[in-house]
Amino acid sequence: MPRSLWTGSLNFGLVNVPVRVTSAVRDLDLHFRQLHAKDHTPVETRRVCSEEGVEVPYEEIGNEYEGVVLTDEELGAADPKKTRTIEIESFVKLGEVDPIYFDHPYFLIPAGETDGTIRAYRLLTEVMSRTDRAALGRFVMRTKEYLVAIRARDGALTLSTLRFHDEVRPTKGISGVKGRTSKKELDGALKLIEALSADWDPTAYEDRYRKRLQAVIRKKRKGGEIKAPKQDKKAAEPVPDLMAALEETLEKLKNGELQPA
Amino acid sequence: MAPRSIWNGTIVFGLVTVPVKVYSATESKSIHFHEVHLKDGARIEHRKVCPKDDKEVSSDEIVKGYEVSEGKFVELTKEEVAAAAGERSKLIDVEHFVPGEDIDPAYYDKTYYLGTGDGGVDAYRLLYRALEKSGRVAIARWVFHDRERLVAVRPLDDKILGLHVMNFHDELVSVDDLDLPSPQRKPSDREIEMAGKLVKSLAAKFNPASYEDTYREAVLAVVKRKAKGEEIVAEPEETRQQDADDLMAALEASL
Repeated sequence: MPRSLWTGSLNFGLVNVPVRVTSAVRDLDLHFRQLHAKDHTPVETRRVCSEEGVEVPYEEIGNEYEGVVLTDEELGAADPKKTRTIEIESFVKLGEVDPIYFDHPYFLIPAGETDGTIRAYRLLTEVMSRTDRAALGRFVMRTKEYLVAIRARDGALTLSTLRFHDEVRPTKGISGVKGRTSKKELDGALKLIEALSADWDPTAYEDRYRKRLQAVIRKKRKGGEIKAPKQDKKAAEPVPDLMAALEETLEKLKNGELQPA
Repeated sequence: MAPRSIWNGTIVFGLVTVPVKVYSATESKSIHFHEVHLKDGARIEHRKVCPKDDKEVSSDEIVKGYEVSEGKFVELTKEEVAAAAGERSKLIDVEHFVPGEDIDPAYYDKTYYLGTGDGGVDAYRLLYRALEKSGRVAIARWVFHDRERLVAVRPLDDKILGLHVMNFHDELVSVDDLDLPSPQRKPSDREIEMAGKLVKSLAAKFNPASYEDTYREAVLAVVKRKAKGEEIVAEPEETRQQDADDLMAALEASL
């Protein structure tokens, strides 16, 4: 069972569902330890008081902002309601939420033992799975407020934290689409997209980096030499003639000289 | 002030190349606290210590190690880790074009903006228009900070291409792993109907600008009160358990 990151109540009108939040993403990255070069002892990070030079336990650490120090309890007083509840404010079409707003996915799991809790959770899941809408709400987790979108996926409620609009940067100053595209070029590009089209199948994409890193570790363990692969500089040049590049790619795909990945 | 690009490279599909620059698209606006010792208000420092010598270790005495068995490490240099990044490290290498609406949002991680790179205005415009027209997004591999990532390139509203870093399928936790409990009695048709009405009554258009981070303000208010010497006490908030017999009543009362 995944670890709970938050527990509280999901409020939908006057219906309260006790829930806990767990991450919907697991960390599969290979993690390195920092070692003392001399004897390969894993290095520890210690929280030390800069005045006294002694290690300080967690309970004795406060949060300072512009000269004012708050304890964790005092921080919890900022908005106790949002710290303990997710209030559903509205239901919006999921398709209207641009993916740029999505931050991290979590699951909501019923936290109460009572049949009422489990049934209320099921009811919400059932109703949400019948609509293309996501519930918008807000809550506070670890001293940060999150805007969240809650929806049903495979019979469970998922919660995605969303970025606030002022956390999405303006695109001003970034050079984007300028001028017109000829119909001929657009048709050529559309044909190429068509030729390289596939259904979205997430299992088709492996984390090759993780695999390569595992291979590097295996090789190093056996005492092998690790060489960095050369960069392919030639492929990164802009093409002088777009139309010619499109046509040539289509031709090569047709002849099987170029394989879709 | 014009934003600064954090990466320059090329999107490649077939023989077509699109020089692009990558920009950050998001930033955190949370209040950032410093850790201090409650006793004397002095800053907390994070020191790296070798527990064997019980002495602080400087960064040039530290190496990276991967634990292959209990207490046994394989040491890797920065260059050796970088060797796993892949060969074509200045490319965004397109593998497929897939229907954008089929991608579950749970796959999306961090987003970046793409701007035109040197000599790439025409190719950039063509890719944008073609993606827009086809309704597809480009699924590609991108090596950034010595790590290959799966990314989706998508036309955004502002005539800018966006680059979403994606989670890999095995990184997503499956619902089957959750062990969700089943209720003794399933929700009744009447309850589902009432809850559906409640959803309808709260239907709205997604308008991101209408949601402000009010917690930021609340934290600043507490900081101010504390600065004036006020005592800060948190009110305990009770979590209510939903009563099984009450579900219908709660739905009716909500409407």
